[in-house]
Amino acid sequence: MPASVAIAGFATTGAMAWYSLRKIEQDDDPRAVIPKASMFTAAFFVASWVNIPVPPVSVHLILNGLMGVILGWYAFPAILIGLFFQAVMFGHGGLTTLGVNATMMGVPAILAYYVFRLRGAPGLRAMGERGSRALTGVFAFLGGALGLGLAALILFVLLIGTVPSSLDGATERAAITGLVIAHIPLAVVEGAFTALVVLYLLRVKPALLEAPLKKRPGEAKLAGGR
Amino acid sequence: MKLDKYSGLDSPVHRWDPRLKLVGLMALALSFAFVTELWLLPAMLAVSFALCSVARLPFSFLAGRLRYPGIFIFILAVILPFLSGETVLLQLGPLALREEGSLEMLMVVGRFTAIVTIAVVLFGTAPILTNIKAMRALGLPELLADMTLFSYRYIEEIGSDLARMRRAVRLRGFRAVRLNRRNLSVLASLVGSLLVRSYERSERVYQAMVLRGYGQLRSHSHGFQATARDVAALSAVLLVAAGFVAAEVL
Repeated sequence: MPASVAIAGFATTGAMAWYSLRKIEQDDDPRAVIPKASMFTAAFFVASWVNIPVPPVSVHLILNGLMGVILGWYAFPAILIGLFFQAVMFGHGGLTTLGVNATMMGVPAILAYYVFRLRGAPGLRAMGERGSRALTGVFAFLGGALGLGLAALILFVLLIGTVPSSLDGATERAAITGLVIAHIPLAVVEGAFTALVVLYLLRVKPALLEAPLKKRPGEAKLAGGR
Repeated sequence: MKLDKYSGLDSPVHRWDPRLKLVGLMALALSFAFVTELWLLPAMLAVSFALCSVARLPFSFLAGRLRYPGIFIFILAVILPFLSGETVLLQLGPLALREEGSLEMLMVVGRFTAIVTIAVVLFGTAPILTNIKAMRALGLPELLADMTLFSYRYIEEIGSDLARMRRAVRLRGFRAVRLNRRNLSVLASLVGSLLVRSYERSERVYQAMVLRGYGQLRSHSHGFQATARDVAALSAVLLVAAGFVAAEVL
């Protein structure tokens, strides 16, 4: 990966991180949310160790779409931190590519969040209990599939556009198309998994889907403020 | 953590102020990312291995850190010489070993090794908590620093939660060998309940933290102090980094 791409990656990641922190600061009490957001960060980091059988191999899910769906704007810092740990503790991914990777996974996660929020659009509300359940599943699927699909697309465009400098244009386009088509099944699996997790949460702990990081009325107030 | 294994050694790199070390070594790693000239490759490797030996990190530790990401690089390294370039060095039936691709491969592998070595020196010579504190002292937003510290604290704990739940699922006879609706939904419930557990745990932790005074204004004195030697070391490393960039551009 050329240095210009690495630096551009750090720049976009810096900008995204700054913007999402600003979005987060708009919440009433960010400090109160830190423990929860961090616990989710750790939980998603661990959850991505679960491997899914896609014969003949088994794959690890990225879960960036799911993170966006559940965490909203907190997904970006969470992904950044997860990737940082991956780079320093397990040596997956490098330190210099951290910026590129965070953008590659974080931006689709934020988009997945907005896609998932569409389920509450005015025209879709009047569908009754069953209908709204189905809608939640559908939009979670779209969010999850979009999260992975977009990340894969960005990755391949970057990889093929930058690494082997002497490939010609037609081969490049063919390779990108091929790789993206090969990832469609994975995006479907990721989307289905996201939908199943969301439906599970809807059944077991709906509070987690309704702005889990917001403080609820009964909760203890921080002494001293921030 | 495995990475902290040698953070307690004593060497000039270990004694270097973590803030300056972070700046210096990150700059060095980025300057390595700039390099595309083949003749700079030996110098790059020499600098990174020299740092590693000054830090007294054993070679086996470094090799262990290189192995896993090395697999991906290896795949690329096997493909590149055959796909890229026009000058054919060797024809093996339908496969042609090409010169440009082979040189690119050398460059990719060499640069990768040098950068990972720098990262290993950076994060292997101080506990990760010290490095996060150093980042905060350098201006990492507090929210990010706090989130990093907290999640680091809980990764292992949640990891053992997951291991326990997986064992429980296996004991009940679950084997995920095929991809079908049922298997996927079992795994989704597994992840879902992991999230619910973490959420509930975070509520308890948060309440306990409030009881202990979390949220009060704290003063952040990081306690790092740079000596003249630390600054000299930083200048030297930055000079080397600038040297690589200059040699590449000129």
